[in-house]
Amino acid sequence: MQAELPGRQQASRYATLSKLAGGALIVLLFFVPVLYIIMVALEPSAHFLRDPMAPPTRPAPSNFSQVWAQGDLGPELVNTVIYSVCAAALTTAASLLIAFPIARRLVAASGALYASIVVGLFLPLSIIPLFIEARDLHLYDNRIGYILLHVEPGLPLGVVLLTGFIAAVPRELDEAAWSDGCGYLRYLLRVIAPLTWSGLLITFLYSMLGVWNDIIGPVVFLVNPALFPISRGLFSFFGSNESDWTLLAAGIVIASLPILALFIATQRYFIRSAMGGAIKM
Amino acid sequence: MADGVTSLRLASGRGAATAAARRRRRSGWARRPGSAPGRLLSAGSSWTMRLGLFIGLAVYFVFGILPALANVVVSLTNYSGLAGSTTSFSGLSNYRALLTTERPGFMSALFTTIFFVLGVTAAQNAFGLLLAHRLQGGRRVDSVLRVLVFLPIVLGVTVVGLIWILIFDPSQGPASSLLSAFGTSSAFFGASGIALPLVIGVQIWQNLGFTTLVFIGGLKSISPEIYEAASMDGVGRWTRLRRISLPLLAPAMTINVLLAVIGSFTTYNLIYILTDGQASTMTLGMLSFNSAFGNSADLGYGAAVSVALFAATLIVAMPLVRFLRMRERRIFS
Repeated sequence: MQAELPGRQQASRYATLSKLAGGALIVLLFFVPVLYIIMVALEPSAHFLRDPMAPPTRPAPSNFSQVWAQGDLGPELVNTVIYSVCAAALTTAASLLIAFPIARRLVAASGALYASIVVGLFLPLSIIPLFIEARDLHLYDNRIGYILLHVEPGLPLGVVLLTGFIAAVPRELDEAAWSDGCGYLRYLLRVIAPLTWSGLLITFLYSMLGVWNDIIGPVVFLVNPALFPISRGLFSFFGSNESDWTLLAAGIVIASLPILALFIATQRYFIRSAMGGAIKM
Repeated sequence: MADGVTSLRLASGRGAATAAARRRRRSGWARRPGSAPGRLLSAGSSWTMRLGLFIGLAVYFVFGILPALANVVVSLTNYSGLAGSTTSFSGLSNYRALLTTERPGFMSALFTTIFFVLGVTAAQNAFGLLLAHRLQGGRRVDSVLRVLVFLPIVLGVTVVGLIWILIFDPSQGPASSLLSAFGTSSAFFGASGIALPLVIGVQIWQNLGFTTLVFIGGLKSISPEIYEAASMDGVGRWTRLRRISLPLLAPAMTINVLLAVIGSFTTYNLIYILTDGQASTMTLGMLSFNSAFGNSADLGYGAAVSVALFAATLIVAMPLVRFLRMRERRIFS
């Protein structure tokens, strides 16, 4: 083994130190705020009012049960799951139905159709016409309408993504299956879907995240509190209990847990698609 | 935020575009329509395929293209959206109102937006670059930290907004405790002059993870031999970052700058949670929303603001795309 030069050793010690400091800074900036919310959620209200910075001496899990009942979080979570799963499933299905004929050039003007879909990623804010449309088409303030209004936002990205994934599936598979008389939908479901599985999953997850976290949609398209998703429910609870931070923090924790669990289970798809997909599409 | 990345890739990034074209050619993308495989589908299946495509495109047209175009039509009316009120075409009067003092707010919102866009774009890319350099490694710590940085995107604007409202709560938040230790205080999100930089900070916190990951993807595509050669020549860390990583990250930079510019021009959901446009944080997107659904019900004026916002975005984004692509070409040829 070669003896390292003293200068070099010093440089590597400096590099390790700065790496550690950088890591600590990231934890401080991105994890401590989250930890703080969890801490506040566990504090008895009187303790928080006296000393907001101190960790709780005796944790108060009653915050969670209280906000659960007071804020109607249960029904709101159910609404959110229904909206985001249904809308994301429809977005994924529609993306596949658009992407396959375009990727395989099975219809006239496939290139132009693809370009028109890419345009969809840069459309201007159109929440005002959407509101008018929602009212005129009876999609306003009802569940089905709310789901339908949330199918389109994830569509352009889904089509672009899946077109890339489908292009990687050899055309010989199409030819073999179709000359054996395999039907179109059966082929998509049995052959294309398993082979483009991660593309479908990424489309589904990003669409679902978009619906789950949407706050403008529920403000514009819903009035009946029984239909509120958790994002609007939580924000309304904040509006009417502005200083009740221990309850609110407990609400934040409850609202975040399901999507956080899903994220942790699927994080490699999120991370990889952002890291690799963006560069190597 | 997350949307648009992949397509931007197709629209820019010469290297990747040609790679995609190569892949497409290999898989037969460029074949003529109506060639053999399409005809192998039975008549019924062929119709099913067309029907599926039609349904998908119909959704896209009705809820994507149509409302985008309808913005222009609505902006030429005095539509209020309230029951019982009459609606008529009012020509360009909404646009005239943007520029006169008759309806104050547009010009100041334009300046707020420009400040917001500049702040977010510059800081998000600078921090993203630094974080990417720190987090590109393959060790377990690095991957845990990557997940951590991505967390705010998953939590969403409502939760992220409420977390920072609590931290900057003027009477009970930790930030105010910290300030009172120094004998001062602040209204934070309620204070003009302070609220906008804070909102910019939270906006960056929310989206930094994505920027960072795109940069990491870019760093991974740089050949490690270049770095080895540089360190053999005794090139320092800082020079390595500035002279090797920064130029060779040009394709990732194009995506990240464009995403930040377009995203920060149009976004207003976080501002809606944090300040609702109060305390000098009224951007154009927020103004458009508030004119229609906030303190007034003037859908025509709100639509005019969003058309103007779209024009402003194009005016900035188009030359920017050209510049960034030229930069890529200069570096890689």
